Amino acid sequence: MTLPALDIFDPSSYPTRRDEEWKYSDLSRVLREAPKKAMVVRTLSELEAEPDGFVYFSADEAGFDGLQQAADFAMRKSHGRLYIDGNDFGDEDGYLGYQGRGEINLAAGQELVVFEDYTGAFDYAVHSHLRFALAEGAKLTRVVILDEPESAVSVRQSTIETAPGSVFKQYVFSTGAKFQRFETHVNHAGHGAVVEMNGAYLLKDKRHFDLTTRVNHAEIDGETAQLIKGLVKDTATGVFQGHILVEKGADGTDARMRHQALILNDGAHIRAKPELEIYADDVQCAHGNTIGALDEEALFFSMSRGIPEETARAMLTHAFVLPVADQIEDEVLRETVLNFLENASEGMKEERANAL
Amino acid sequence: MLSIKDLSVAVDTKQILKGLSLDVPAGEVHAIMGPNGAGKSTLGYALAGRPNYEIKGGSVDFNGVDLLDKDVHERAAAGLYLSFQYPLEIPGVPALTFLRTALNAQKKLRGETEMSAPDFLKRVREVAKTLKIDMDMLKRPLNVGFSGGEKKRMEVLQMALLEPKFLILDETDSGLDIDALKVVSDGVNALRSPDRGMLVITHYQRLLDHIKPDRVHVLVAGRIVRSGGPELALELEAHGYDQYLGEAA
Repeated sequence: MTLPALDIFDPSSYPTRRDEEWKYSDLSRVLREAPKKAMVVRTLSELEAEPDGFVYFSADEAGFDGLQQAADFAMRKSHGRLYIDGNDFGDEDGYLGYQGRGEINLAAGQELVVFEDYTGAFDYAVHSHLRFALAEGAKLTRVVILDEPESAVSVRQSTIETAPGSVFKQYVFSTGAKFQRFETHVNHAGHGAVVEMNGAYLLKDKRHFDLTTRVNHAEIDGETAQLIKGLVKDTATGVFQGHILVEKGADGTDARMRHQALILNDGAHIRAKPELEIYADDVQCAHGNTIGALDEEALFFSMSRGIPEETARAMLTHAFVLPVADQIEDEVLRETVLNFLENASEGMKEERANAL
Repeated sequence: MLSIKDLSVAVDTKQILKGLSLDVPAGEVHAIMGPNGAGKSTLGYALAGRPNYEIKGGSVDFNGVDLLDKDVHERAAAGLYLSFQYPLEIPGVPALTFLRTALNAQKKLRGETEMSAPDFLKRVREVAKTLKIDMDMLKRPLNVGFSGGEKKRMEVLQMALLEPKFLILDETDSGLDIDALKVVSDGVNALRSPDRGMLVITHYQRLLDHIKPDRVHVLVAGRIVRSGGPELALELEAHGYDQYLGEAA
């Protein structure tokens, strides 16, 4: 599977609305010129297992160089838990640019939990591409938090290769940015491999988040389950493009895609494009896409029991995205994500000026 | 306790209640009976303050306060409880969390001390036991996947915990089999007290065999057309509402 070549330092490579895959997210419009190359200090931090059981890997200091060593170290020393700290610092006059590639290969039967925590400050533009290759029976869990400043431009792409009996689980949580796109391409080529790709986004103000996933089922008995939940308010835009391809001969495929979003006020947008493309005969595939407003009946019911409107709204919106986090097996990460969602829900409550 | 005077309510510009007057003193249980579309549920919703239920005229006095002037949650804190005909499912919010949030929000508004988690759990356990509600059920999201009977038992649990001064039961018997009806009405009857009023809205007389009213009112086309003692319910069961439909038109 090849991705279109994107070079953050070369504006001629920026996709535009004319590219079908980028119809709802126009990079060339938000980033009119190439960002200045950020000075990156290439010092690899020494690998150590932290008290919480994670091996810490700083992506801002070293790009993704040394990622494989960090992953190997984590699997030897910390029950396979790796924390990638992606903390990009921008400038206050003009965008600073970062671009990085990294790769993790899991050998047969290896298990790894990766927590990717992307934050930053000021104006930066970042493009990264991570590749994860799973050998037979390997298991990778990826928990991603995108907690970026409102001026940030970020495009994070990833490619996943499965093998027979391997398991890939991904959870992405986002509050958006000026422009934020998270892409996952899965080459579902392992007999009986299992893929779960879940996520939740909570967007306010003018923030933009684009979650694009593409799964190619090329082998028999593969499973894909996807649950994406979204909340948008003010003039924020949420984009979900989910594409599942079941190739000829990929019989026994079981693929389910669900996207559920709430628009909390007029002026906020959801662009959803769920697609199933099926060339095999014996498959079970389903997709559901529901976009609506907060359930006013449930709101009234809650208020009639004495809960003030603002509290009831926050309770119901928080509850809406919660099921995604509840599926995370790693307790530390589940708690981290729950905290992130709670803060994000609180943020959605503030300044509800445009509503009503 | 609850005094409704000349209440007119429109829903989506359609006039439903047309000058309804009713007094329910503390300690009494009144039943509202009437045919479909008479405005029975509208009365309950209007009293609870449902959005889009437009008050066109009249007044509602509840223990000396102007009920119509208050927000939905303030009416609840003042002691009004509407039990829904079809209780809503609240996905993602465990019943216990919902109940404690509601109880403490009411207490806070009334200037009372909020209930601590251990005290709250102790109280819930007591009430749940009498209603044959399993504590595990209370850890699940409120009403999600519950049967009709379970939802109604949850309603009674909430009444018992929130201890409202006035209860409006909207078609509480709908969707209940005989056993569930008994558990639910026993729960409601346990809440009868000299300082609590109740308004029981029902289409059928059946519920009134279990929750015996002091007064029965017939609501037709947005107005009370007749009031009487408990015997009026039996008469309606025997003769139907037809005799009133002509009068109201």
